[in-house]
Amino acid sequence: MDIRLKILRYNPEKDDKPYFQDFTVQNVSPDWRLLDVLHEIKWKVDGTLTFRRSCAHGICGSDGIKVNGKNRLACSLLLKDMNMSKTIVIEPLPSLPIIKDLVVDMTSFFAKYEVIKPYLISKTPPPPNSERFQSNEDAEKLFESAKCILCGCCTTSCPSTWTNENYIGPAALLKTYRFAFDTRDDGGDERLDIIDNPDGIWRCHTIFNCIETCPKEINITWHISQLKKRISTKEM
Amino acid sequence: MADEYKGIKTFDQKEWVKENLSYKKDSGSWAWIFHRVTGLALIGYLFLHVYSLSTLTSGRTAFETKMQSFLSPPLLALEWFLFIIVLFHSLNGVRIVLVDWADGAKYHKTLYRFSWIIGIILFLLMGYIMFSHEILKFFGK
Repeated sequence: MDIRLKILRYNPEKDDKPYFQDFTVQNVSPDWRLLDVLHEIKWKVDGTLTFRRSCAHGICGSDGIKVNGKNRLACSLLLKDMNMSKTIVIEPLPSLPIIKDLVVDMTSFFAKYEVIKPYLISKTPPPPNSERFQSNEDAEKLFESAKCILCGCCTTSCPSTWTNENYIGPAALLKTYRFAFDTRDDGGDERLDIIDNPDGIWRCHTIFNCIETCPKEINITWHISQLKKRISTKEM
Repeated sequence: MADEYKGIKTFDQKEWVKENLSYKKDSGSWAWIFHRVTGLALIGYLFLHVYSLSTLTSGRTAFETKMQSFLSPPLLALEWFLFIIVLFHSLNGVRIVLVDWADGAKYHKTLYRFSWIIGIILFLLMGYIMFSHEILKFFGK
């Protein structure tokens, strides 16, 4: 069967502003991923179509795009899960500057991620002949938050990000949880101080767009609520 | 907060209206939008409320005449409509507290549905209380 697509195109060297281009791809199978369709266009129809992808299996998180008004990973989205009789609208991730076509500049996203110190901070040296111990129960608290692949779908889907470019965003907050609730880490308070301000965690208005869009189905808002609780009970 | 990431150009902030309109909305987005809209409506109502109470300064008769005018059916209907605004804002407020303080984030869709169901029941109940006289008259009792 054939499918129709509307893809946002933008080449800063040629175009004044982004515009939509229509494509029709023939003989697609419902088992195809959306990424396969983009490949089909790039390889057979228009080689100038630009998008990011690396592993193509939902692990690297590089092919986040906006599909039919919602952020998705092109490699994790099957055609049969969409209405194939309707035109599929594809745009780059919202709220980030477009470099070309579907490729966005993730500089601000990663700067926000780095600011919360996404690495182990320990004030004690590791045990001489073993790894730092963590019980199964303590490790389980981190499993969900550690699944994040930093695709940027959540942060760019958040209305708070759209209105405030300084909002740190759900991805950075989720990573804060991952370390602040790690029993091996000593940098918890330091990180909580970083996010405890109006551009930090308190800009989260529990809109839940991040959960709806997360390709790893992480309940980001729940993790943010745990951080909110810890910050507000810290002084007690 | 460490400020090194601030000021990196993200996108034209004027785009947020367009983005809000075009992005697919689920219960969470609708709850947030309704909460904002009802919040603004309640601020507007607060001014109206203070204005109508201001007739107290002109004496008892002026105040009572004003209060009497609120008993006309169209204004009573508006008051009933005000009640659903108050209801949604307060029930969703409880939902937000549960999301932030309990494990509500895991059940946010159920909580959203519940706030509507409880809200509609209370809204209809209030309607019956407010218009019971007219309703009973309509059925000839």
